Amino acid sequence: MTLAHAPVKIRITALAGLLLAAPFPVRGAPITFNTALPVHQGGWVLREQFVLNRNTDDPSSANRDVRVSGFVSVLGYGVTRDFALFGVLPYLDKRLDVNMAGQRVERSDEGFGDFILIGRYIAYTSDAPGRTLRIAPFLGVKAPTGRDDARDGLGRLPPPVQPGSGSWDVLGGAVLTYQTLDFQIDSQLSYQANQNANGFESGDVFRADASFQYRLWPRKLGGGVPAFLYGVLEANLVHAGKNRGGGAADPNSGGTTLFLSPGLQYVTKKWIVEAGVQVPVIQNLHGTALKNDYILNAGFRINF
Amino acid sequence: MTRIWQRTVLAVVLALMSASAFAAQAYKLGVNGLACPFCAYGVEKQLKAVKGVEKVDVDIKTGNVIVTVAEGTAFDEATAKKAVTDAGFTLRGFEKIPAQGSGK
Repeated sequence: MTLAHAPVKIRITALAGLLLAAPFPVRGAPITFNTALPVHQGGWVLREQFVLNRNTDDPSSANRDVRVSGFVSVLGYGVTRDFALFGVLPYLDKRLDVNMAGQRVERSDEGFGDFILIGRYIAYTSDAPGRTLRIAPFLGVKAPTGRDDARDGLGRLPPPVQPGSGSWDVLGGAVLTYQTLDFQIDSQLSYQANQNANGFESGDVFRADASFQYRLWPRKLGGGVPAFLYGVLEANLVHAGKNRGGGAADPNSGGTTLFLSPGLQYVTKKWIVEAGVQVPVIQNLHGTALKNDYILNAGFRINF
Repeated sequence: MTRIWQRTVLAVVLALMSASAFAAQAYKLGVNGLACPFCAYGVEKQLKAVKGVEKVDVDIKTGNVIVTVAEGTAFDEATAKKAVTDAGFTLRGFEKIPAQGSGK
């Protein structure tokens, strides 16, 4: 790492919090975070999600442009009726365009990222005809399975462009779901504590999420199990702490972002297709931390 | 001779179909908590895994599940409750009803 690269490394790390706080939704329900609905005992649910994260609003002269795209695979397994395990593995392409020494350069890498294993326990269930209320705490660990020492001709890539973080991190929280035949509400609080790796530590991430899904079609329910088309509106409040490097907090990292996320879901008995876009409506970031333009999520889920 | 064989085969087939139709038994299960199509799959899968269950029809609007089983199948409320519970839901009712067909 040359000295010329160091400021770029520090400034773009504001993104790390958002990227590391990847959601792990797998059941029907929210697009950008989890739900408390059950995975039946012995059953599997697979989710494949395409993600495009664009960040171009750089207040500094570096004129940074960060694009992260790729797929996030989530596999859920119902160990018991109340306890489910989820494995999350992203494959991401990360690109940074930045002005360096009077030149526009691109730095990039792609590959499998860090694997996250999460256990979720449905601690409270209240079922009634055509509706359910559930509360489920969860706890997870992020293993440093992704490459964290990728290099290019300019040296070692800055942390947010590395496929992996290099650190073992823990996350936990709780999600509440109230589902009826007409609509569904989900709400989640979560916290991810990040550790140091390679002299760098991403700021911890706190998230508060809410989702409202309304059945648009069919307007009137008939018999059997018809497919549902849901209109979805979600809100994601993400607060990332300041990153630390070289023993000091980076004043140009971290901050608070509020996303509003409209979307659509088509839900059948066996599969779901869905798409949504997270649009930042409030960004209160520290210093010259790079702002987010949007995050596009699209994918499917399969029951088996 | 060919005609006799044809009639014999037809008679056997009809007898088997008839036996199947009259042998099937059906049960109506009330399931609480069932409120979306994706969740219905778990209930259906758990019930179909029960030995002797031939058909499972879920009605998501009423939360009723009609289970058709072969004659002689030991399908009781405890079995139904375990399957529904393993799917993550709550059994609210269990009653035997007239079979609506041959199952399957």
